[in-house]
Amino acid sequence: MSTPTERTTGSTEVKHPDGKGIGLWLKLALVLLGIVLLALLPQVLSRYYIILMMPFFAYSIALLGLNLLFGYTGLISFGHALFIGVGAYSAAFLMRDGGLEYMEPLILLSLLGAVIVAVPVGLLAVRYIGIYFGLLTLAFGMLFYSFLLKFYSITSGDQGIRVEKPILLGFIDTTGIDYLTGPFYYYCLGLLVVMALVMWRIVKSPFGLTLRCVRDNSVKAESLGIGVYRYRFYAFLISAIYGGVAGVILAVSVGQVDPTMSYWTSSGNLVFMTLLGGFTSFFGPIVGAGAFILLQDQVMSLWEYWRLVFGAILALIVIFAPSGLMGLLTMGWKKVVR
Amino acid sequence: MLADEQEAETGPEENSLGKGIMSMQYRKSNIFGIRVVLALVIILAMASFALVGCGDDEVATDETEGTTVEDTSAGTESTDGASAEAPENVPDEPLKIGLLVARSGVTAPVGEAAHRAVEWWAERVNADGGILGRQVELLVEEESNPQDTVDRMRKLVLEDEVSAVLGLISTGVSLATAPIAEELETPLLMWDGTTQDGVEETMPDPAYTFRSTDNETEAIAAAVLTAKYFPDTKRIVGIANDYSYGHDTWNTYQAVLSKYMPDVEFVDALFPELGATEFASHITAIQQSGADLLFNSFWSGDAPVFMKQAAAVNLFDDMNAVFTTAGGVHTSLEQDFVPEGMLLGYNTFYFDMPEKSDLLEEFLADYQEAYGDYPMYEANNAYFTAVAYKAAVEAAYEEAGEWPSNEQVAEALVGIEVESLSGMMHYDDSKRMQGDFFQGITVHSEDYSFATIDPVEQLSTTDIMKPTADTDLLQWIDESFPKEGLVE
Amino acid sequence: MGDVVSILMSGLFSAAILFLVAAGLQLVFGVMKIFNLAVGSFYALGAFFGATLVNWAVGEGLPQPLFFFGLLIAGILLGVIGPVIERLLRPIYDRDEAFQLLLTFAIVLMLEDITMMIWGSQPRSTGSLYLVYGTVNLLGATVPVYNLFVIAAAGTIAVGIGLLLSRTAFGRVLRAAADKREMVQSLGVNTRRLYVIVFSLGVVLSTIGGALVIPVTATMSEMGVELIVEAFAVVVIGGLGSMRGALVGALVVGYVTTLSINYYPPIEMLVIYLVVIVVLVIKPRGLFGGETA
Repeated sequence: MSTPTERTTGSTEVKHPDGKGIGLWLKLALVLLGIVLLALLPQVLSRYYIILMMPFFAYSIALLGLNLLFGYTGLISFGHALFIGVGAYSAAFLMRDGGLEYMEPLILLSLLGAVIVAVPVGLLAVRYIGIYFGLLTLAFGMLFYSFLLKFYSITSGDQGIRVEKPILLGFIDTTGIDYLTGPFYYYCLGLLVVMALVMWRIVKSPFGLTLRCVRDNSVKAESLGIGVYRYRFYAFLISAIYGGVAGVILAVSVGQVDPTMSYWTSSGNLVFMTLLGGFTSFFGPIVGAGAFILLQDQVMSLWEYWRLVFGAILALIVIFAPSGLMGLLTMGWKKVVR
Repeated sequence: MLADEQEAETGPEENSLGKGIMSMQYRKSNIFGIRVVLALVIILAMASFALVGCGDDEVATDETEGTTVEDTSAGTESTDGASAEAPENVPDEPLKIGLLVARSGVTAPVGEAAHRAVEWWAERVNADGGILGRQVELLVEEESNPQDTVDRMRKLVLEDEVSAVLGLISTGVSLATAPIAEELETPLLMWDGTTQDGVEETMPDPAYTFRSTDNETEAIAAAVLTAKYFPDTKRIVGIANDYSYGHDTWNTYQAVLSKYMPDVEFVDALFPELGATEFASHITAIQQSGADLLFNSFWSGDAPVFMKQAAAVNLFDDMNAVFTTAGGVHTSLEQDFVPEGMLLGYNTFYFDMPEKSDLLEEFLADYQEAYGDYPMYEANNAYFTAVAYKAAVEAAYEEAGEWPSNEQVAEALVGIEVESLSGMMHYDDSKRMQGDFFQGITVHSEDYSFATIDPVEQLSTTDIMKPTADTDLLQWIDESFPKEGLVE
Repeated sequence: MGDVVSILMSGLFSAAILFLVAAGLQLVFGVMKIFNLAVGSFYALGAFFGATLVNWAVGEGLPQPLFFFGLLIAGILLGVIGPVIERLLRPIYDRDEAFQLLLTFAIVLMLEDITMMIWGSQPRSTGSLYLVYGTVNLLGATVPVYNLFVIAAAGTIAVGIGLLLSRTAFGRVLRAAADKREMVQSLGVNTRRLYVIVFSLGVVLSTIGGALVIPVTATMSEMGVELIVEAFAVVVIGGLGSMRGALVGALVVGYVTTLSINYYPPIEMLVIYLVVIVVLVIKPRGLFGGETA
């Protein structure tokens, strides 16, 4: 049966000591460059592609959370879409039934919703690893999906719930499409930067190190006095929070929430994105989200059988490039630098 | 480097020496070169995609050939070759129309029929000179779930710059995309979608969103005809899909029929999942209910499956049945398991009308030749949206003297009346489709292996659909039914 | 009495089909430690191909009562894709389970479109062919004889697998390989060939499941994606890797579904996942987890 896995690929820190990897200042410069580029994108992109960045921001945030679980703690979740759904529906209910109009309380309260759901799920789930964790999370995701679909008196079932555009920062209430191509874009960019920063601090902290310890050898970690379940649980909670925020962004940018947001194939896509970008790198998930969305957008227009293409890409990545794009890039970089 | 790789790729637990060596060799010989190539390919692909994203590039794709035009006649449907001069103030480029077509799941066959009808329309229009001289180009995107479909719609309008969007079958997706159409000020003509939340209208007065007939219309028609054909019914049991449509049709049917036959008893209905395929327990429950009539509003593949399983236990020996929408899958309603004497509904289109227009004859012939099949009602709804759009553009052009704006087209669409495959149809002031609904009693004809209907009852939406989008349905039913002279 | 029997038979039929698909899953997981998300897709393939083959055969003059064997043959013929997909999965045998799940997920995506490319989106079925066997009255419930055939077939296959695992040399090797692969390898068994056989067998079980169900229903786009969730519930409840678990799990899921449809439909989908979660919490290895037979 499944045994505790020695997580195979580590973070860039442990495997690439000084001198071999990209220098810290260079990394920082690249990140800043990235942020600046993202901020300038609305100037050059057409309106459609600006709006397409919304799912990018949302999934990037969601995947930062997912990778905390996967890359850093060694737990593969096939139910992460659960928290996206929780976040999205929380926002929808708060706006529709709670009359909430402002974005910030919307995010915070939806966050709270995600945490409330994550606590019981997490308490149950973190006792398991590997495939059992994956299956359990899948079950919870589908449980939520069924609930959304069947209890239509509360959730409107398959019809979903309309989501209006919340007021940003207390005063920005642009309407129509300018909301998405304008203030909301920067708002989401800001959210991504902030949450990425927070995640960076988390993984670089002793907490993050402990997580990796738990991932690499949970038995040993336990013998060192580390509460393995406890740390996994915290990681799970944090990932849920990130998922919830992503859900809110998606709800607002689409304007509608519906049960398919939590279907198991949505969770599968999230893992796909993480792998595509590279789970061994901090920025991998973000790269993965961008690559996936761009790819999906282009392929969907070109060929009705886009699932075939995506399946093939996923298969290729898993077999030949399991460290994803970031893995390939750092390899390429090292070759160049050498 | 190699050490990293090995640690990076080898698996967990028993890291036996043998396996380690084996995997190292495997990696060295097979994968190394491929990785670099793969990286380059992906990076190149992304770079090219990124370039595409800049500016206002159009990523126009089409799945229909706009046939090259030899003459530029003024968009008439006549084929006598009389060509007027190219209309003034009309752009040269092709007219792009976006389609949102369902391709997977239970709605896929419905989307397919609709798509085929619009393609057929586009070919004929283009052969005839296009719309006001402009060739029609269809850009097709998939209708899937609400989030993705909203994206595709935005792409069609913002990026591909289509002049109108036709499509949509699922209500959830329709509810999500309608606000987008309003926001982007582009006409959206839905095939089967509505913006109803249950039976209530969420958008009583949209500017650009044109809906299909109200979801509950076929149930109302069925109730009226139940009163005609099964007047001695004592008890009715219902089975419908467990989502908004299923519940709405059952509730509406009960409301209307109660006005005609107040003493009829309704048993609690069953609501299996949409897409369920196992009905043994439901059928047993139906048999136990003691009802003498069954109501069923299945519209997809589950209809013939249900009938098959019902026939196996002779359910309909002692029971009449009303299938409000199963005409949608009419060619799979084989005569061996679909008995005669049932009421069967085909929504806005019945393929074997006793008197067929020339248009219908041509369509049926071409469809049979191309696909070896008989079309279902979505083909008609889709055809109508296309024809209506064309007529509206032409009408608006007449008034404006130049190529009309979206707003002008949307205005022209209201009240427009055109010939669909099943007769005249129009858009009312609420921007909903209006036409005739076809239902009838099943017979086993020698001409087909599947069941057909005879007689074919034709009911107009002016009678069986609530007068405006924001009318209260139940109140209207209460006040208007029973209606005199609706059926003989 | 009639409706109790009807429920009994209905649950048994669902369980029979679920067992076949789950058995395919269990066999592969037990021996190769791969959780094959694609069994749902194989099931769908079996359904489509089964319908096509039987319709063609009957059209060419096959006497109708023999169509049952046509279905079985269709399922077995599809076994040829076994080696192909196994070859695809080979590189990740020793990898983390995450990768295995993902690769099988990739196969699900690909097969979904391939199925659509070949057969289109119209539902396929064998019409009312299955009624050629007639129906039988069991204590007040009318049951199609075909359903009984399917239950019998599933039962026979279950017994067959059981015997295969416990009585034959091949079965011994399978069980040993499931337990300790390197040991078996060092004893000279060609595990590569073993895996191809096992995987193909797993495929055939799922495709037969799909083929056998089609006469009673019809194909539907995405039927594979939806079934995997039920199949996964079966194996989790029964215990990953255990054949007995597949049987018991299938019965549990089959009956829970049937009962909830009959008595409280809104919870029909939910209750399965609840049972899964409860089982995972109380007995994470499932009812028979840890065993291979």
